[in-house]
Amino acid sequence: MSNRRTARRFVWDAIHLPRRVRDLEAAVVENRQLNRRIAELTDIVAELLVPVADRDEARLQELLSRYRADTLAP
Amino acid sequence: MPHATVTDAGVVVPWTARGPVAVSFDGRYVWSFAARRDGRRTTGGWRVPWPDVLQPRLSGTTRVRLERGGATLFDSAVAFGGRPEPLVLHDRHGHPLAVDKMGHFTRVFSETDDDVRRRVAESTRKALVDLREAGYDAHLSYGCLLGAVRDGRMIGHDSDADVAYLSPHGSPADVIRESFAMERALRRRGWKVVRMSGADLKLLHPLPDGRDVHIDVFAGFHVGDTFYLLGSRSGRLPRAALTPTGTVTLEGVELPAPARPEEVLEFLYGADWRAPDPSFRSVDPAQGVHRLDGWFRGFRTDAIAWNELYRGRRAEIPSAPSAFARWADELLPPGAGIAEIGCGNGRDVTWFFERGRPVRAFDFSGAAVRQTRRRLERAAGAIDDVGALALNDSRSALVAGAELARTPTPMSLYARGLVGCLDDEALDHLWLLASMSLRRGGVLLLEFPATGTAEPSVPARLHRRIDPSGIVAGIRRRGGLVEQVEVGPGQDFFDRHDPRVARVVARWTTQESR
Repeated sequence: MSNRRTARRFVWDAIHLPRRVRDLEAAVVENRQLNRRIAELTDIVAELLVPVADRDEARLQELLSRYRADTLAP
Repeated sequence: MPHATVTDAGVVVPWTARGPVAVSFDGRYVWSFAARRDGRRTTGGWRVPWPDVLQPRLSGTTRVRLERGGATLFDSAVAFGGRPEPLVLHDRHGHPLAVDKMGHFTRVFSETDDDVRRRVAESTRKALVDLREAGYDAHLSYGCLLGAVRDGRMIGHDSDADVAYLSPHGSPADVIRESFAMERALRRRGWKVVRMSGADLKLLHPLPDGRDVHIDVFAGFHVGDTFYLLGSRSGRLPRAALTPTGTVTLEGVELPAPARPEEVLEFLYGADWRAPDPSFRSVDPAQGVHRLDGWFRGFRTDAIAWNELYRGRRAEIPSAPSAFARWADELLPPGAGIAEIGCGNGRDVTWFFERGRPVRAFDFSGAAVRQTRRRLERAAGAIDDVGALALNDSRSALVAGAELARTPTPMSLYARGLVGCLDDEALDHLWLLASMSLRRGGVLLLEFPATGTAEPSVPARLHRRIDPSGIVAGIRRRGGLVEQVEVGPGQDFFDRHDPRVARVVARWTTQESR
C-alpha cells in the first residue's frame, strides 16, 4: 500500500515537474526584475526626497525641473 | 567553384559555402551572412532570405557580388522586382547604407571616409575622457577594440563605436543605480544620451557629414566569479584583464584599453578573434542572457517602434481632435485643466489648449513629444508643458505625479488608447500617478479598445485589447473610485471604426492611496 502511494506520488511529481519548473523560472525573473525597482526607488530618494526634507519650496521646484532634464529626457 | 543564384526572395549558395559570405551592390558592401546559421538547406544548396530591413528596399537594378574567403560565388546584374532603374541604398544625406551585425540598416565604417573614421575615433576618445573624469573605469571595447588591436583601424562592417566600464559593484541593483548617475553626469557634460537598458547607454555625437555617431556604453561587473558585460556576454574574465587600463591606437587616436586586450577579445569573440568574420554573431551562454534580461531589460522594448510609427506613418495619423476628446470636453467644466498621458502627435491636447484649457502632455516616445511640442508651439508660441513619461520607470511616474500634484489648479488626466500599450507594471504606475495627482480634484478619463471582439487592435503588435474589468480592479487597488464604465462602437488609433471601445471615468478622493 505504502509502496503504491509512493509510486503514485512519484508519477504525480514527474508529470507536474515541467509546470513547476516554468513557475520557478517565472518567479526567478520576477525577483531579478526587483533589482531595477530597487535602483529606481533608491535613486529618487537620494536625488529628490532627501533634499525635499529641507522643505525649501524654491529648491524643490528647481530639483524637480533638473531631475526631469537630466534623468527623464526621452 | 559552384555558383550561387540571386532572386527577389534571397540568395542560394552551394552547400560547400559554409563560411561567411559578403554581399555587395555595385561594389559597395551591403550585408553578410553565414549560410548554415541564416539559411535553410534545400536541394539546390543553402537558401538564405534577404534580411527584413533590406527586403522592402530591393527594387531596381544593381550588380550583385557574393564573395567568400576571396572566391566569387556570384557577380552579375540583377533587376529586383523586374525594375530597370538603378537600385539606390542611400540615407537622406546620400550616404550608402548597409545591414550591420545587429540587423539594422545603417551606414557602416567601410563606407566612411578616413577623415570621418578619425572623427568617430575622436568622439569615442571624448566619451572615454568624460567617463574617466567622472570616475568610471572606462575603456574601448567590442568592435572598436578588435579593430584597434588587429590593425589600428575600425572594422569595415561595424556601425557603432563601443566602450565599456568595469563597475565596482557586485549587485545588479547597484549597477543600475550607478548607470542612472552616469546618465546624469554625461548629460551635464553636454552629451545626448539614450538609455538602452538598466546598464547600457547610447551617446549620440554629431559628425560634419550630417549623421550622428552612436557610442554604446556598456556596464561590466562581476557577480561571484562570473563576469557579465552588456550586451549579453558572460563567463570567466578576471578583473586584472580589465584594469588598470593601458592604451591602444584607433585611426591614429590613442584610447584607453583593457589591461590585457587579447584576453578580453577572446572573452568577447572566442579563440578565433584574430580571423576577420563579417557575419560574426555571438553565441552567449543562455543562463547569462536570462540573468541580464531579467536584471536590466524588458522595459523600453517598444520605444523604437513607436518613434518609427510617429515618424514613418505621420500622414496616416489623424490631426483633428478625436471623438473622445470632444466627449471629455463636454464632461469637464469649462476652463478646467487637462493633462494628457500618451499624447501621441498632440492632436487632442492641442485642441484642449485651443479651447482655453490649461494643458500638460506626456509621452513615452521622443518623436511624439517633439511632434506635440511643435503642434502646441504653432497654436500658442513657446510652450514648455510637454515632457517624457516612461511608465515602466517608477521614477518617471513619481516625478510626473509630483509635478501634477503641484499645478496651480487641479488637472484631470486624459488617456486615449494608452492602457492597451502598457504591461502590468506600467499600468500600476499609471494608477499611482493618478492617485498622486487627482487627490485635489479632477477625474481620470480613459478610452481604449476593449476585449470581446475578434477584431485585432491597432497599431498591430504595439497595442492590445483590454478587459475593462481589469482596469476597474487596478484603479480600485490604488484607491480610485470608478464612476462610469461604458463599452460600445468607437474609433481606433487611426480613427477607423472599432466595434468595441471602452470609456472609463474615475476619481480619487482625499483618502490615502493604498
